[in-house]
Amino acid sequence: MNSRIGAQSAPSDANRLAPPPLRRRVLLGAAGALALVSRRAMAQAGKSLKIGFISPRSGALASFGETDGYVLDLARKALVKGLAVGGQTYAVEIIDRDTQSDPARAGQLARSLINDTGIDMMLTTSTPEVVNPVSDACEAAGMPCLATVMPWEAWYFGRGAKPGQPSPFRWTYLFSFGVDEFAECYISQWNSGVQTNKKVGVLYPNDADGNAIRAHLAPKLAKAGFTIVDPGPYEDGTTDYSAQIAVFKKNRCEIFNTFPIPPDFATFWRQAAQQGYTRMVKIAQTAKTGLFPSSMEALGTLGYNISSAAYWHRDFPYASPLTGVSGMGLAEGYEQASGKQWTQQLGASMSLLDAGFAALAASSDPKDKKSVAAALSRLKTKTMVGEVDFTRGPVPNVFATPIIGTQWVKAKPGSRFKLDYVVTENATDHNVPVHAKLIPYS
Amino acid sequence: MIFLNQCLQGIFLGAYYALIACSLSFLFGVMRIINLAHGSLAVLAAFLLFVLADRYGLSPWLGLVLVIPVMAALGFLLQILVLERSLKGGLLVPLLSTFGLAIVIDNLLFQGFGADTRSLAPYIGDLSFASWSLSDDITVGQLDVIILAAAVALLGGLQLFLARTRLGRTIRATAEAPEIVGLIGIDARAVYALSTALAMALATVAGAFLALRATFNPYSGGMQLLFAFEAVVIGGFGSLWGTLIGGILLGVAQNLGAFVNPHGFLIAGHGFFLAILIARLYLGPRLARLRLARLRPRRPRPHAARPA
Repeated sequence: MNSRIGAQSAPSDANRLAPPPLRRRVLLGAAGALALVSRRAMAQAGKSLKIGFISPRSGALASFGETDGYVLDLARKALVKGLAVGGQTYAVEIIDRDTQSDPARAGQLARSLINDTGIDMMLTTSTPEVVNPVSDACEAAGMPCLATVMPWEAWYFGRGAKPGQPSPFRWTYLFSFGVDEFAECYISQWNSGVQTNKKVGVLYPNDADGNAIRAHLAPKLAKAGFTIVDPGPYEDGTTDYSAQIAVFKKNRCEIFNTFPIPPDFATFWRQAAQQGYTRMVKIAQTAKTGLFPSSMEALGTLGYNISSAAYWHRDFPYASPLTGVSGMGLAEGYEQASGKQWTQQLGASMSLLDAGFAALAASSDPKDKKSVAAALSRLKTKTMVGEVDFTRGPVPNVFATPIIGTQWVKAKPGSRFKLDYVVTENATDHNVPVHAKLIPYS
Repeated sequence: MIFLNQCLQGIFLGAYYALIACSLSFLFGVMRIINLAHGSLAVLAAFLLFVLADRYGLSPWLGLVLVIPVMAALGFLLQILVLERSLKGGLLVPLLSTFGLAIVIDNLLFQGFGADTRSLAPYIGDLSFASWSLSDDITVGQLDVIILAAAVALLGGLQLFLARTRLGRTIRATAEAPEIVGLIGIDARAVYALSTALAMALATVAGAFLALRATFNPYSGGMQLLFAFEAVVIGGFGSLWGTLIGGILLGVAQNLGAFVNPHGFLIAGHGFFLAILIARLYLGPRLARLRLARLRPRRPRPHAARPA
């Protein structure tokens, strides 16, 4: 990983005057040599930007980071000629780091990028275990930081902001979904044609996400006319769910909703099938698990027709301003390059780069941290996931992005993959085309 | 009725823990090697089975026939290359070297297979969730019954093997005093290597059932260690029947905890484990007499060294 960064990076100040090292890139031909020369010229003018990019590439959260290498490659290719800001062109170096899914390491990496590498801006994505520690480190060090893909309530209130009071954050910004988007999406999804008794069995764990959802989402669903049957919080890592299944069966919960860590869901769902609950379920709505095709494939036939919600889908009608790639193009490009099925994180990571470089371009001086933070605070731009507009709220430093109802269905014959991921509702963003109708789980 | 089902599912869950713990119990209790790479090795076996099933369409049951010898051979190498050397350094060194080995295996698997979550369940048709319904509230999963049967057969078979056969007695004697068995013509190195190979074969079975009952990815090895250790400790070191009973007690305790409150699942399990540990401390000798099927006679306390 590091060697590739080195090969693509602009020469640093230290070796600026030394002859260019003989890199393989130089041998690639005239194009490569030209690019190198132009980057050297820019570097000699002293104008280069270093951007930190922190995501989980290995460890328990690795399925989030799996696609980041591809997205970063696209961005680096698009930025090979540098970034133009106010008539100046800056060479750009994106320095990506892997948290190994460890929150302590995430904070450590952020501090090292800020203090040792001397980055000009931080980008970070995927789950509170990555985004919160990186954001905290940036807030403490006065480093402009943009983040995505975690529930914004857990980012904003979870890091010490109080409702109704001014935002305590000066340097850190997040665009991502929140409880309201989930509520809107679920209500639309569950009223969309599949007949149910409107009784919802909920399996929410006793962790940050589970408790936030229990406190804020469940009341909204109840208000919309659904009866919530909650057997109570359970601990992550539970290996037997007979008690909860008995409660769901007794109440005939035809809708099922859960926010578990993925291994727990597989155990629960198989046991629910064993004990005859899945035959009762008309809509199985999962969040947190079911984001990526591999976790659904692991369920075998039990994974067909499970509903999910997506923060990006290849059918999103937006292109990436940074790379020019469309939703379909991004998904297909990834499938060709990796041989694996596209995932929703592709679009999310791309949108983070889109918005980050839009903020740098909008700043009066991208080398000046105050100027970049100010540009973030009034950023209004298009990205791969749609609009990002920090002037609109819901709270300062945050913009809420849509969550779209989806379903995993058996792939059509001849498909390269076992499952197809289709959009079934679009309440939070009407520009997203709905190509499929929700079908009952059983 | 729901209460009965909770207990029943607890027994099945416990049998699963015991099956996962079997290899650990053997190495830990009999050979006195704490193998922290147990979970990772089980996951490695699961990946091998997955490759056979996914690429070559081989059912995981048949796959076991192929993977068990491979893993046993790996165990042989593990003993010669890692454990034998580290055992010379005292009790702590194998702990550290197997911990390091676990990290190496996890990350090699990640390099080779990526981060995706897998399961073997899709390759056994509906068996992973097929069940017999005894009443509205009581169901018996078919895979659970297989796991229970496998646990009884493996742990029981191993117990009988160690207690009744000549080779079993040789293994125990070697673990007890590796230097002395040489005097009566036993090759301690070969016995150790054979035992580790056996332990790896058992870890393969553990990996297979882990992958059939749940899902796995390159990093799920560590998660499996905790309950397995608890089952071994509750059941008492050195007793494989004890591990089976320990696992079942743990599973039932967890499920009864969850019956009172879903919060209670893990707490009840860990609480029960702690209670057993404390009981051991205070009632040690009396409890030991109650212990089932002890393998090793209690050793007399060494006399305090008298000053010359």
